[in-house]
Amino acid sequence: MQSFILAGGFATRLWPLTERRAKPLLPLAGKPILTHIVEQIPSEIPVTVSTNAVFEESFHTWKKSITRSNITIRIEQTRSDREKLGALGAVAEWLEQEKIHDDVLLLTGDNYFGFSLNTFIAQYHSPCSLLAVSDIGDPVRAAQFGIVSVDADGKTVTGFEEKPAQPKTTLASTGCSILPAGILPEVIAFAKRKPDNVGGIFEELLRLGQRVECFRFIEPWFDIGSFESYLEATRVLVGERVMQDETNKMQDARCNGSVVIGTGGSVTKSKLTDTVLFDRCMVDNCVLSHCIIDDDCILKGVDLSGQMLRAGTKLMRE
Amino acid sequence: MERQCTVGRDEIAVVYTPLMRRPLLLIAWLLTDLVLFVGAYACAYFLRVGFIVSTDFPLDHYLQAVLIVAPVWIGAMLIAGVFRLTSIQSSKRNLIMIVGSCVIGLSLFTLAYYFVFNQFFSRLLLVYAGALSVIFTAIWHLAFDQWQRRVLRKDPPAFPVLVIGANRDAERFIKLLNERQSPLKPVAVLDPAGSAQKEIAGVAVLGKLDRLEETIKQLRPKYLVQCSNLEHTLNLISVCRNHGITYMLLPSVLGVVGGSERSIVIEGQPVTTVEP
Repeated sequence: MQSFILAGGFATRLWPLTERRAKPLLPLAGKPILTHIVEQIPSEIPVTVSTNAVFEESFHTWKKSITRSNITIRIEQTRSDREKLGALGAVAEWLEQEKIHDDVLLLTGDNYFGFSLNTFIAQYHSPCSLLAVSDIGDPVRAAQFGIVSVDADGKTVTGFEEKPAQPKTTLASTGCSILPAGILPEVIAFAKRKPDNVGGIFEELLRLGQRVECFRFIEPWFDIGSFESYLEATRVLVGERVMQDETNKMQDARCNGSVVIGTGGSVTKSKLTDTVLFDRCMVDNCVLSHCIIDDDCILKGVDLSGQMLRAGTKLMRE
Repeated sequence: MERQCTVGRDEIAVVYTPLMRRPLLLIAWLLTDLVLFVGAYACAYFLRVGFIVSTDFPLDHYLQAVLIVAPVWIGAMLIAGVFRLTSIQSSKRNLIMIVGSCVIGLSLFTLAYYFVFNQFFSRLLLVYAGALSVIFTAIWHLAFDQWQRRVLRKDPPAFPVLVIGANRDAERFIKLLNERQSPLKPVAVLDPAGSAQKEIAGVAVLGKLDRLEETIKQLRPKYLVQCSNLEHTLNLISVCRNHGITYMLLPSVLGVVGGSERSIVIEGQPVTTVEP
């Protein structure tokens, strides 16, 4: 088996946090989302991470921080949304260029999942495709995801609809699947028609009469695509505590909810609620609530709520 | 130093802003105003005295006093904001400022002449000088402003404006700047929501905010105007500060429409007010 992680998006909804780094490299509860994912993949499975030319350097830097050796960074020569190959297009190009004839563990680099990939892989029986699904329980939210219908056995997938207006179920596809080697030609053919429709491949497989099964899990899962989902993921993973490096300077700081402080930070005479400070932030005499503050920000005497601040921002009230 | 390329949706142009254009124009404007002021007073002299060289009221004494006062008159107009880039020379406010400056000039001229030469002169001459300096200045400023706008907008524009937002407010603002031949020329639009439009009022929509740094590096805007997405205000200001760009905000982003907003200072604290 080979694994392929889609990390080629430009993450414009998370601007300015994604101004200098790809979304999969955003720190989540102390380490990049991508690291959370890769640590889950069994060590014997080679990992290919597909990204775009804009973030090439940051992915190579990330790779150096990982002890695992069988990781390949694959660069799609695109520099903007308009040039993108499309997620499925990127998969197909990799399959063709690298002549992949193995089963493929396909993952999206911006989805955090709490279940064990070993358990997931153990559920896989070739030649059935396997799809990880989570019951989000909310029909309104379900309209934002790929929604799966299952047979009475609760396992056999009978239908797949991408962002349906009226979802038949609340079982959401979570960006984690296994594609058997035998169906890869169909994947390549479908990608030529619909290069941006990853979920659509399951609709196509069902249309072709291929068997698709689902793996239901109850562990946390987050599709980190927005400010709200990022903070929600942090709240769940960090809990009601402060996660911080020992080197940080904390003096007269009051923290509520989930607070993450990156390395080299300093927080003095401030109140932080559900806030994430990336590396080397200096916060003095501030009240921050539901904020994500990127690297090297200096905040002095300001009150902020519901803000994402770009790296290097200086807000200082004398 | 100037290099000009086309600005397209998929190909951002490389434009070096001609930084010296505005200072040179301003210097030319100030110098011509000085000449104009002296000319207006000279005309007033000849209108009152006649086209002769009077020995009772020598022209060289008269012009000496005018030359002493002229820089102060210019200074008064500078302080009043008459030469500001965004001033509209045809506006009532601007005309009032010119009249006020000319009255100051006239008063100072009277005082200067008395202090230097210890004598007074014809009151009618003062009326002529005051009226002519106002008329000459107003007409010249209208003409110079029109010419200056054309020069400053000439590609590559001296004051490129980057517009954030692809909504109708942005469109109205771009049209206004272009119709009025404003020295501030919109050169590109970035839309946080990712507008499908390729251009707005003739200005290319280059993409979302992920292209902000790249766009700034290539187009080198001097102004950034935010027309939508209030949540990005802090970050846009941060970007502007980092790049030496003047940040501007349309009041509609704050939900203020109808032109009833003003910026005032209360006890030294700047605030934006909205009249009921």
